Amino acid sequence: MVKKSKGRQKVEMVKMKNESNLQVTFSKRRSGLFKKASELCTLCGAQIAIIVFSPGRKVFSFGHPNVESIIDRFLNNNPPPPPHHQNNMQLSEARRNSTVRDLNIHLTQVLDELESEKKKHEDLRKIRENTKALGHWWEDPIEGLGLPKLEGFKGKLENFKQTVSLQASKLLEETVPNFYVGGSSNAAAFGNDEASQRRMVDLNAFNYNQNPIFPNHALPFGNNGHGNIPQGFAPGYNMNYRPEYNPNQNQNQHQVFKREDISEYEHHHGHPPHSRSGYY
Amino acid sequence: MTRKKVKVAFIENESVRKSTFKKRKRGIFKKAHELATLCDVPICVLIKSEYDSIPEVWPSREEANKVLSQWEMMPEMSKTKKMVNQETFLLQRISKATESLKKLWRENRELEMKELMFSCFSGKTLLSDINKNDLPDLGCFIDQYLKDLNRRIEILRTNDVSGAGAATTSNAMPMLMVDLHSSSAEFYNKIRIQIENNLNKIHEEMG
Repeated sequence: MVKKSKGRQKVEMVKMKNESNLQVTFSKRRSGLFKKASELCTLCGAQIAIIVFSPGRKVFSFGHPNVESIIDRFLNNNPPPPPHHQNNMQLSEARRNSTVRDLNIHLTQVLDELESEKKKHEDLRKIRENTKALGHWWEDPIEGLGLPKLEGFKGKLENFKQTVSLQASKLLEETVPNFYVGGSSNAAAFGNDEASQRRMVDLNAFNYNQNPIFPNHALPFGNNGHGNIPQGFAPGYNMNYRPEYNPNQNQNQHQVFKREDISEYEHHHGHPPHSRSGYY
Repeated sequence: MTRKKVKVAFIENESVRKSTFKKRKRGIFKKAHELATLCDVPICVLIKSEYDSIPEVWPSREEANKVLSQWEMMPEMSKTKKMVNQETFLLQRISKATESLKKLWRENRELEMKELMFSCFSGKTLLSDINKNDLPDLGCFIDQYLKDLNRRIEILRTNDVSGAGAATTSNAMPMLMVDLHSSSAEFYNKIRIQIENNLNKIHEEMG
């Protein structure tokens, strides 16, 4: 396994030499320090104030319940507020605490989600590595391909796009049966009539997720987006349409690459081996 | 010492609370010291607990007073700009984490669509088995890929036309749009002639 970074390393306790590293370190450690302070307040009911100046001479501060009151009390040697003020304070403190609790829950959820997405990223990366071994040249980065291959690939990809577009239209018709008006012929049902062809052209025309957005299930405090999450995985089949669906279409149109490209296994058994991964 | 995940809630048990407080307070001072040393910045920490009638100061009263007087000199807006309490600090962290999550989700979605596309190409996945919710994103990805393909084709074609030689794979020139008109051949020729002339002059002078 290739390690991405060097991992935890012991840092010498002297001023950092590299300017930008210093900036980054400041940012991270300041945040970490505030986090520890926040925890101390919640866990032990302490009050705390931290004041720190950044390398750029900006001032950062953390305070619980708030910076000013703590500093003020410290500087002026003020005693804590008298008991008859306590009730009001306790009420607002209680409200604050419950907000903080909720926020903590929200934060934990987001961080958990982030963890699982990171893992998914790893899994996808491994899948890509594994499929590299199959030697499909079209899967290589574009920069490494020569002109003739690129042009061939482009043509096939454009065909594929048409196929996907057709499929999407087909499914749209299935879910919204009133969508196509008239045309009771068989040709219309299979998209071979003119009206259907006109409708099927552009994926941009409907539900086209130009910017696949944030999945709504990940936001416990409200939905502000809609997204697509793959449900389960598809079993392995080859790409041929069944004959009755498109009697007029050439078989080859729906195969992006010729039969020779299909693996030995498929060739002999008529179907590709089942995909073991959780993704397509 | 084992690392147990502690629930972030008030510790009811008094002795546990007290010992936790002592340990964590020490830890905070240590972290503050590291931050101050590594980044060479002024810092002070004030902690008030039920266990002390007066707040505890770090690094020392004198140092803290220095920091606080610097603090007092700052305009109000500068003070409050980066001021947080528990609530606002959590909101910041949530927003940062959410941004990272969105970015990563988008990236993963692209990778997924890439796999799906290649899987269809190689016949592993049947078109009719693709979840209909994935089709739009798949279409989006295909379009993007076609854009990149076309861009690359343009670059290679332009290189070809200008007579820079047979279009090669990018091992030599990744994504470099080399604009060599035929006039540039003239340009290099001119330079070559100039150099030759200069050399000839030198040879003459040297006899």
